[in-house]
Amino acid sequence: MSIVTVQLGQCGNQIGFEVFDTLFRDSHCSQGLCSKRENEAYQASCKERFFREEENGVPVARAVLIDMEPKVINQTLSKAAQSGRWKYGQHTSFCQKQGSGNNWAYGYSVHGPKHEESIMNLIQTEVEKCDSLSGFFIIMSMAGGTGSGLGAFITQKLQDQYSSSLKMNQIIWPYGTGEVIVQNYNSILTLSHLYRSSDALLIHENDVVHKICAKRMNIKQISFRDLNRVLAHQLGSVFQPTHSEDSSFHYCRNPLVSGIVGPGLPHATNVCLVALYRRPMFLSTNGDLMEHLVPHPEFKMLGVRNIPQMSAESLAYSTFTWAGLLKHLRQMLISRAKMEEGIDWQVRPPLSGLPPIGKASAHKEPHFNTSLANLVILRGREVHSADVGGFRDAALYTSWLEPADAFSVWKTPRPFDKYEKSAALVSNSQLLVKPLDMVVGKAWNMFSSKAYIHQYTKFGMEEEDFLDSFTLLEQVVASYGSL
Amino acid sequence: MGRRRSRVEGAARALPEAVAALSRSLPAGPSPEIFRRAKFDRPEAAPVLWQLLLRVLSPLAANNTWTDLAPEAQARVVKSALGSRGYPRSVLLQFPDGSSQGSRELLLALSWLLAQGPLLEQLLAQTRVQVGDQLPQCEALTSPGPLACLVATKSPVDLRLVEWLMGKLRFRWRCLILSQREQCTLLSKIHLYTQGCHSQQSLGHLSVAETEMLRDPESSQQLLHALESENARLEAALEWRRCELVFWQWMDTVLDACSPETPAVTSQPTALPMISEGGLGELESVRQELLALQEELREVAEPRRAAWESRVGGLGQGPEWSNSRKALREVVERELADLQGSWKLCSTPAQPQRPHRLVRSKDGAPRRQGLQAAEVIRTLSAKEDCLKKALHQLQCQCQQELARLAGTLPGLIWVLPPGH
Repeated sequence: MSIVTVQLGQCGNQIGFEVFDTLFRDSHCSQGLCSKRENEAYQASCKERFFREEENGVPVARAVLIDMEPKVINQTLSKAAQSGRWKYGQHTSFCQKQGSGNNWAYGYSVHGPKHEESIMNLIQTEVEKCDSLSGFFIIMSMAGGTGSGLGAFITQKLQDQYSSSLKMNQIIWPYGTGEVIVQNYNSILTLSHLYRSSDALLIHENDVVHKICAKRMNIKQISFRDLNRVLAHQLGSVFQPTHSEDSSFHYCRNPLVSGIVGPGLPHATNVCLVALYRRPMFLSTNGDLMEHLVPHPEFKMLGVRNIPQMSAESLAYSTFTWAGLLKHLRQMLISRAKMEEGIDWQVRPPLSGLPPIGKASAHKEPHFNTSLANLVILRGREVHSADVGGFRDAALYTSWLEPADAFSVWKTPRPFDKYEKSAALVSNSQLLVKPLDMVVGKAWNMFSSKAYIHQYTKFGMEEEDFLDSFTLLEQVVASYGSL
Repeated sequence: MGRRRSRVEGAARALPEAVAALSRSLPAGPSPEIFRRAKFDRPEAAPVLWQLLLRVLSPLAANNTWTDLAPEAQARVVKSALGSRGYPRSVLLQFPDGSSQGSRELLLALSWLLAQGPLLEQLLAQTRVQVGDQLPQCEALTSPGPLACLVATKSPVDLRLVEWLMGKLRFRWRCLILSQREQCTLLSKIHLYTQGCHSQQSLGHLSVAETEMLRDPESSQQLLHALESENARLEAALEWRRCELVFWQWMDTVLDACSPETPAVTSQPTALPMISEGGLGELESVRQELLALQEELREVAEPRRAAWESRVGGLGQGPEWSNSRKALREVVERELADLQGSWKLCSTPAQPQRPHRLVRSKDGAPRRQGLQAAEVIRTLSAKEDCLKKALHQLQCQCQQELARLAGTLPGLIWVLPPGH
């Protein structure tokens, strides 16, 4: 199952490049920490998802690059070509001469409809090169004009045209201090539109990634490239292949094929197809990720946490145990810590065994983060000895979901990105309620004084559109708040 | 005298032959001895017959997913499947789950299933060895699931949990579509790459199974083996058809052997849905409500009808009146025809009745015998339209009901959830 990545705007294109580079570098580094067979299966599975083979043997990223200015796209294309390891395909990019001027409405209402046909054709060409399409991974920022406005437009079109394919949007949350004066407007418009057309919003906050760079990676002068590398590391730790959950030694490419299709299609066909196309049988759709984490239409926001994260120099002198890593990761989750530094160890889950009313939010510690669903991904040595029992505690979750439904774990003995042992957490929880509430609040303050509204209405938007967005996001905040 | 003895001996030989033929034609058929023991209600025959009934009644049992079930669970599945097919004898249904008694009743149930319809043919079709690529049948979607067991929950369920589960189902449905699409793509590739390889001119290309045979000679041995055993079962089925009369005569004696106090046919309703105590109370309150509503309706309708009749009484004449009546009648007839049309489409799916081999033909090649993809697509999309209409209607009803409920709560704002 393959994923087509859509890189939108300056931010989306720069991050997209780092993601592909990380995925490729990781899958091709010979670490000697796991068996050769394991490594080959891992490599092949990664390739099937994110790359395709071109005639001269250089893997080509399954990606479409879109921007309204040519500069970043040209840089991205040439950086990939210079790497010599992988590249972007010919005729997979689309750019124009003029940007969106940080105006969401311009991206959504002007660039979108104008270039719809060309962009959708590009995407379709890429889709046709997949034997099987699992879905789309759409990388964009939320504050600017092209990524956010055009991104929301394109996501909606993808939903119309590929309704059964899965759609996950990678969204970059702007710095709280702000680069763009109307970033809160752009943000609420992006989020509300994506809430209608996407299946999952994987959110990275610039502030958080910046702190990780400063505190964990010891970078003095932090550039966008540094931020993007940390981000790519986090995404890679989620998207690289893992074994299926139920049986750690049974490689399963997509359990749905052998399980559910059986009665409908002749069994022999399944068996033969699998035999004929002997491919790595890793669990490879991100459908499973979505089925575990975002089945509810009101709860689509996902946050990622990683451990350990450190500079290469420090890494050389560090050793880790699974028990230590998982203890930290769990506390990061329940205390809303952004990284492994500065964790508040005082925060405890509410006592279980109390009557149901005891789980109501009034009785909770104010800093406790209630989860809806969590996915933990473990990579590295002795992974099968890791005990994730701490995440199966009912006190971590909302009262209406059982831990068995709310928690899942993926494992692989193949280490990721030079870390002998590493853990990633994808969480659908209250982590992002506070930032969301703040953005909505700031946008509302501007809106109530009608600031800059004419910039949007002159491109065909109406005040009603803003009000719809506010209503929807207030509802999201309330839903998460009442977990 | 001598002639009579030879006839008796002939019959005595014919019965074991018939039973053996039946055994051989059934999937995992038991030894004929089991049948004889079941006639005498011997307990050792019971477990084998429960297993056999499970295999016969549930197509899913073939993939061994159900044979791992505990005997109690197997018995429950068998009973509910028999119940939903309208099996009339309540004795079997009342056996405690997992008991080893009543092998005779199990034999009767098996024979009843055999006598009911083309059971043997269906079973043979299910386990057919496939050499060509098959057109997927949609039976799985249309057959009623005997397993839909109602879980009665006393405590209220959080609506968010229901939405969560619904969302999960939606994702699984989408994954299913995606993997079906993948299979189609791969199938199409195989058909294209093997174009012109088939010895049979009319086919042109190889199927998956044939391609696999070329790649792996071992698998052709397996296929040969499977074909041989299928042949044996087919031959046994033919043999059974030839001599089944003897079996039925013997079954009469089995039926006679049933204790007389057990009525052969009970007056029990065929399917017994479980109704809990609370359910009965609910039923009563619903009945009361229904009666009250009927009364209310009568009260409202009568004066209206009277008023209407008095109004109509004044009209009813003149060319305008007859014209409008004619137009009205035409509209009604048209609507009726539409309804009947859609009903026909829904009720007689022109599904291929027998399995078809999927064959890609070259553009412009002369039309061959058999089912054309375009026809199947047409039928399926007509059916899809039909189902969509029904869904839309149900959704409208639900929305009206929601709106009505919301209307009864002043001050409540109804915000539809975002998403699909």
